[in-house]
Amino acid sequence: MATSQNPFIQADGKKPTCMEMLQTILDGEATREQKDYFKQHMDGCMPCYKEYNVDMAIKELLKAKCCGGNCPEGLVEQIKAKVNSTIA
Amino acid sequence: MEFEDAPRQHYSETEKQGIFNNEFMPHIHSMYNFGYRLTLDRDDAKDLVQDTYLKAYRFIESFQKGTNAKAWLFRILKNSFINDYRKKSKEPSKVDYQEVETYYNSEEVDRQITPDLRVESLKDMIGDEISNALNSLDVDFRTVIILCDLEGFKYEEMAKILDIPIGTVRSRLHRARNLLKEKLKSYAKSMGYNNA
Repeated sequence: MATSQNPFIQADGKKPTCMEMLQTILDGEATREQKDYFKQHMDGCMPCYKEYNVDMAIKELLKAKCCGGNCPEGLVEQIKAKVNSTIA
Repeated sequence: MEFEDAPRQHYSETEKQGIFNNEFMPHIHSMYNFGYRLTLDRDDAKDLVQDTYLKAYRFIESFQKGTNAKAWLFRILKNSFINDYRKKSKEPSKVDYQEVETYYNSEEVDRQITPDLRVESLKDMIGDEISNALNSLDVDFRTVIILCDLEGFKYEEMAKILDIPIGTVRSRLHRARNLLKEKLKSYAKSMGYNNA
């Protein structure tokens, strides 16, 4: 369960805003503890809950649509041939 | 070309080939996608990836075997893009991020209004909307989204790939996400979601 102490608080003691916590999660920089805390925080914070769901949906859409598949056929061989010709 | 101040390595030809084939080549598809998302042209992407791999081989002794090959390759590709491709393409100069980043780091940022986009409208974006939205971003904003959301790089890796401080990575990502959302919101509206 989430701890009573906010794990997003930095060494300087500054309390993080909702947006700062959300960004840490989205950017893939959150620790397990921070993820758990934020999950519980969303139960009582509707704007965070809405924003988190939209942002995660965008991330998923990006992964599904923009990863591009494979490189063109023959590129690997072309590169290897060029490298081999520099060695020779 | 070096990623960090690692001492120059000494590899035999066999070792070089081994590193090239086993550590560099497995990233070719991600590298091509990165090249394509930067140049927005498949032929240019192919040339850029080829140049990057040739440079990687030429400078292979700057690479320490077993370390982060993907980040090292991405950094070379990004530098090749800036130094070779961008010069040729006469792309307009970068926007002034100093202003953006100063803004982000100020207290004002929490009062910023973010676009009200709904998950339902995103689920209907089954075509090229997201790809077009990403491609329409200025290249520096596009780059951080690619590195973080498509490739899963951490702040520290992105900072090294892009030669910028971690704080700038974070603020640029924040700005990039908002710009992307604004684009998607306008697509959602054009799809009939009046309150996107």
